[in-house]
Amino acid sequence: MINNIKCIIDARNIDKIYKNGAEELKVLDDVTLKVWQGDFTAILGPSGSGKSTLMNILGCLDLPTSGQYNLDDLDVLTAGENQLATIRNQKIGFVFQKFNLLPRLNAVQNVMLPLLYRGVDEDEARETAREKLTVLGLDDRLNHRPNELSGGQQQRVAIARAIVGSPNLVLADEPTGNLDSKSSRDAINIFKELNRHGHTIVIITHDAEVAEQVDKVFYIRDGKINETGG
Amino acid sequence: MKLKQLFKLVLVNIYQNKVRTFLTTLGVIVGTATIFLVVAIGTGGEAQVNEQYSRLSVGTIMVMPAQRGRVVDPLTIKDADMFAQSEHIAHAFPVLQGNGDINYYNFSTRGGFSAIPPGFQSSNNLTMQYGRILEEDDESKRHKYAVLGAELANTLTDGDPAAIVGEKITINRRQFQVVGVYNRIGDAGSGMGYDDSAFIPYTVGEKYLLGTRANPVITVQAADLQAVQPAMDYITNILNETHRAGGAEQFRLMDAGSRLVAAQESARTMSLLLLAVAVVVLVVSGIGIMNVMFVTVKERTREIGTLKAIGAKKREILGQFLIEAVVISLVGGMLGVLIGFFTVPLLKYFELPALPSISGVLLGLMFSVATGVFFGFYPAWKAAELNPIDALRYE
Ligand SMILES: Nc1ncnc2c1ncn2[C@@H]1O[C@H](COP(=O)(O)OP(=O)(O)OP(=O)(O)O)[C@@H](O)[C@H]1O
Ligand SMILES: [Mg+2]
Repeated sequence: MINNIKCIIDARNIDKIYKNGAEELKVLDDVTLKVWQGDFTAILGPSGSGKSTLMNILGCLDLPTSGQYNLDDLDVLTAGENQLATIRNQKIGFVFQKFNLLPRLNAVQNVMLPLLYRGVDEDEARETAREKLTVLGLDDRLNHRPNELSGGQQQRVAIARAIVGSPNLVLADEPTGNLDSKSSRDAINIFKELNRHGHTIVIITHDAEVAEQVDKVFYIRDGKINETGG
Repeated sequence: MKLKQLFKLVLVNIYQNKVRTFLTTLGVIVGTATIFLVVAIGTGGEAQVNEQYSRLSVGTIMVMPAQRGRVVDPLTIKDADMFAQSEHIAHAFPVLQGNGDINYYNFSTRGGFSAIPPGFQSSNNLTMQYGRILEEDDESKRHKYAVLGAELANTLTDGDPAAIVGEKITINRRQFQVVGVYNRIGDAGSGMGYDDSAFIPYTVGEKYLLGTRANPVITVQAADLQAVQPAMDYITNILNETHRAGGAEQFRLMDAGSRLVAAQESARTMSLLLLAVAVVVLVVSGIGIMNVMFVTVKERTREIGTLKAIGAKKREILGQFLIEAVVISLVGGMLGVLIGFFTVPLLKYFELPALPSISGVLLGLMFSVATGVFFGFYPAWKAAELNPIDALRYE
């Protein structure tokens, strides 16, 4: 049964050590985790526990000090820079805590970008971007720039950008951190909806309430991970 | 990403930073305008030189005393006749020159006069505006006739040169009858100032005006361009033989071809000098672009991190920032060329010969783009090299 489901994230014995002069700071300590196709997962932990560090490694933005990491059967640690860029473009969608929208581009242009980097035709990219924004209820804000949007709306633009290329994996770092409780619930509902449509989702959060709404939770504390709380 | 998309992304960024873009381009604008104008001045200068020399055959050789003043053993009409016998030489004419007071009624001016054999006129492209040329008859019968240069006739008649034909003038108090006025010829590089001279038959000048002070210059026309050197050698030999007292060293041989080349060269040197100034301006403005691009890269570090996170490759970031630098400098370049075009009439007003040219436009734009590429490359490369996670974390 389990053999029929694909393992998207296969991270083993991951250490991340930051060197500060002679001092060494072990931020991730022997982290092993697997996320399967279609999972709706959260990584929960207090501030400073290493969540963002872990997400950056899982998202191929950073490399671990040691360990092994396969993303969708591809060995990330031996991949070259361009290959990693392609992986990020095609297999991963990021939702950043601060949204990280490009301030000079409007909503549609922001959402189009991953497709353009993939080499998709401009018209096609714009059409797809419009669709995604419409699905997320932003059909009347298509040409607004980020500073003309509310936090919740920016969040949805960021989500639209993350899923526009239909990536295998959506990584969201504190996606509700900057939102009030209503927008926060809306955002989680959007992720739920995306998950129902087959997206694999990993939400990183320190908010236990958010963690209650996902199917599976990894707990992280002082760089160590386990699958039971406490 | 497709190049077209990269361009659009760049244009959006530039468009929303119009003021900064304009300030960045100021140096490029000045530099490109300078290059454009330098080329215009250079082209204009060369055109002026060429136009000055166009009437002067490049095969002309002047034989003249090496030093001003008295020569122990002056050239004579016989020398000219001997020169003309060489197969390398088409013809050779002695010319006597002097300065004097020229009077016409109550008009008086200090001017030059030249005593010439009749053949001199056609070989020096002297053509008639009014009246007739000096003829063989005038020479042999020693007629005290004169033909005036256009400018001299103008001065004496206060702008009505036709009126002077048939009238009497005096040169150094000797009377002459004016039989014609030549067309304007310009300073044909001879340094003789034909337009300001009065021309009289050679023998008349020698016997009647100058007497023992006669010290002619001989203008020699080589048979063709290849004959210039052998003709000069031939002349030197003759002079050594016939003027044993002082030898050929008392005389100077000058050929028009090498003077033309020298004049063109000095025009070109001038252009190069100005061009160097323009390049310095562009280098300085390039450093300005580099500064701004560095600031831009710093400002947009998190943006670069985001772009990398959503899949931008190194070369796409490099391309984006390089295109931005080039577009900025190209815009500056085009504005510079435009300003250059509007400045040309101003230069003309100050009598600088400026001639706008395609090569000026191209050179200006080329340099502006090169400035963008050269000085934009390092910041762009720095941006491309950024590690995605460091860029994202940058505050
Ligand atoms: N570049 C770095 N150099 C040195 N130490 C770092 C670096 N980045 C993070 N750290 C340290 O690693 C630890 C974990 O940081 P991380 O950002 O992963 O925490 P987090 O769990 O995401 O916290 P939060 O919930 O506050 O975002 C922290 O103690 C932090 O000081
Ligand atoms: Mg964090």
